[in-house]
Formats: sequence, structure tokens, C-alpha cells
Amino acid sequence: SHLPQAFPLPSLPRKAPTVLVVCGPAQNGAIGLVCARHLRIFDYEPTIFYPKRSPDPLYRDFTTQCEKMDIPFLSYLPTEVQLINDAYNAVVDAVLGAEAEVAEGREPCAAILATLKHIRIPIVSLDVPSGWDMESGSTGGISPDVLVSLAAPKECARRFLGRQHFVAGRFLPYDVQKKFELNPPEYPGTECVVAL
Amino acid sequence: QEEAQAIDQELFTEYKFSVDQLMELAGLSCATAIAKAYPPSSFTTSQPAVLVVCGPGNNGGDGLVCARHLKMFGYQPTVHYPKRPSKPLFEGLTTQCEKMDIPFLPEFPTEAAFIDELYGLVVDAIFGFSFKGAVREPFGSILGTLERITVPIASIDIPSGWDVEKGKADGLQPDMLISLTAPKKAAMHFAGRYHFLGGRFVPPALQEKYALNLPPYPDTDCVLQLT
Repeated sequence: SHLPQAFPLPSLPRKAPTVLVVCGPAQNGAIGLVCARHLRIFDYEPTIFYPKRSPDPLYRDFTTQCEKMDIPFLSYLPTEVQLINDAYNAVVDAVLGAEAEVAEGREPCAAILATLKHIRIPIVSLDVPSGWDMESGSTGGISPDVLVSLAAPKECARRFLGRQHFVAGRFLPYDVQKKFELNPPEYPGTECVVAL
Repeated sequence: QEEAQAIDQELFTEYKFSVDQLMELAGLSCATAIAKAYPPSSFTTSQPAVLVVCGPGNNGGDGLVCARHLKMFGYQPTVHYPKRPSKPLFEGLTTQCEKMDIPFLPEFPTEAAFIDELYGLVVDAIFGFSFKGAVREPFGSILGTLERITVPIASIDIPSGWDVEKGKADGLQPDMLISLTAPKKAAMHFAGRYHFLGGRFVPPALQEKYALNLPPYPDTDCVLQLT
């Protein structure tokens, strides 16, 4: 639900509330699938690009849920960035998460990230801007407009220069928060997202 | 009742939702609705203490999820869960509550007055829309006691003990009803103050197929206040 806070429906520049959700092969991509489904429930028009699908049964079910909700899956990502800029209001970057290190050099992630570096519409990154080094951030990588840190901000979030930083994933028990000295911000009321 | 079961079946078999997924969203809706109608500041007890009574099936599972989110929202839930299915789903939900220091009562309070003293709200997560037939112990006695308490009751999906379509005039009279997915026929007999809709996961195509005619949820809220 961070997306509507950052990009409320009435404010979107394109006529239809289209959003491209780019999903990587692992957990970050699966989170993207769940995000796409909820965007559809919130009346956005998500499209998914999910080139390398996980064999995990849970993630395969997430894919089915999206397909059955008539969320289109692109068979390829246009390399012509203007096509992406024209068709969508924003891109959700669910390519790589905090667990990826070597994966970023491998296809198709590298090609996807190369394309995303050049788009002009806003990027919303889930947990970690894909391709950034988890700790030191990245020079020359993608520059997201919005970062949604999951559970707690990661080290590389310090280098985030975009417009809005949210924390989402309101499920950490207090003793886990204390044990890892996480000090997450207070969520307002019953919200599951908090702006930093 | 059959329609509700048909929708559920389709969500699981066609859409491949897992019970875990939908139960989590349902339980979260319940906690959210409760927080909107009974904010912690509105409690007259010194802490916002809530008693969550969980039955032997999925409604009980919804209650466990609800209790956990109530804790995250700043309430002090206590759970009574006398009949526990030995399935990983329910065992997991129980562990999550226990590890979050949510106490589990070994015995249900014998007097309605004890409940009124200790808690500002009771969540009825005993029986849901699959309920049929006679009420087995210990739930008969539990419902008997709940019918005599004065603190408000929030029922998940169906007031427990009610006929799913016809209601029960001499049964539980909850102050709040959280209908999950869509209101059931019994909701027509609901006379309490707050009726919320929760479980915002029904795909638009299913809503059309079953002509649910649900009013729209407000922006990204997972609950909708109907009354």
C-alpha cells in the first residue's frame, strides 16, 4: 500500500493507472507478484515482467493468482525505453533483494537493470534498489524515486537519494526488534506502511 | 452458506490461494476493524485488554491472526483456545502468538462478571460460516457465559451459535460483526452498532461471477464500514 501513498490514483499522468512490475527470480520477485495482485485490487492496472520464474510452489501459486486476476505478463521487456516511459506511470523494481550478490551479473537481471537505468518514469524499489551493493550502495546503478524498505531499512538505504522512503512489513515481534537493535519507526494507527 | 463455500473453493482450487494467505488477510481485517471501532484510548480497563476466544476450525485461526495484529496495534490480547487442530497452520499461528507474549488462558472464566472486570472487549472467533448442527462442549458453556457479559463482543464472520442464514434470536448479540469476503445471510439479523466488511482479496472476476455487489473499499484500507 506504499504505492498509492506515493502515487495516488488521481495524480497519475497517464490516462490509465498503469504500473509495470518487474520481478526477479527469487524472493524479491515473489514479493513483487504479491504487490501486483494488491495493486489490481486497489484499481491500478499492473503489468508484470517475470522472465525467470521460480520453481518454488508458493511462488508459482502467486503467479497463478496474478494470471487468474487478468494481470498481463509481458513476454519481453522493450529495450526501447521510450516505450516503457509512454505505457506506464511507474515501475516497481522487484528484481533483486538483499540476498542477491552475484546474481546481479547474470542474465536476465543485468539486461533488465541496464534498461531500467535509462527510463524516465519513477521507479519504486522493493527493499533494496536492485543491483546496489547491500552495504555500500551503488554508483551508476538504478536511481529509484521511492524505496520501500521491508521490515527495516538495509545498510545501503543510507545512500538512497530519491523522493520518498517508506518502511513496510509490520510484522516484526518486539523481541526480534530488540534483539537485532532495529528501532523501526512507529507505524501510525493500523497502517502497514510508514514514511520516513 | 453454499455460495460462501463455493467462493472459498474457487479461491483455493482455481486461484491457488493458500489458506494461510487468506487467513492472514482475514485476521488482519478483523484487527483493523476492531481498532477503528474500539481504539485503545476508548477502553475503561487500565490497559486495552481484549479476550479472543478461538474455536476449533478456521474461524479460530482467523482469531489467532487477529490477536497477533491486535498486539502489534498496541492492545493486550489474551487468547482462549481450548480445542486445537493438530495441523501445522494452527500450530504455527499459536506459536507466533506465544512468542509475542500473548497469554493463553487454560480455563475459560466461569463468571460473566470476571470477563467484564478484566477485559474491555471480547472477540468471538468460535464458529464461522461452515458451522452446522449442534454446539459441542466446551463451546456451549462458553457461549452461555458470553451471552451474559456486558462488555462488547466483536464476532468474526458469523456470531457464533447462529444459524448461518437465519440467525438466532436468543443467541449471542454482538456489538460488532466483521463479515469476511461478503456479508452472509445471517448478517440481516445483526443488530449491533458496527458492521464491517473485511477480507479484501476477492478478485473482480469472482465478485462479478457471484454478483456480490460489494461497495468499494476506501483507497487502500482492508476494511469497509457498512454501518
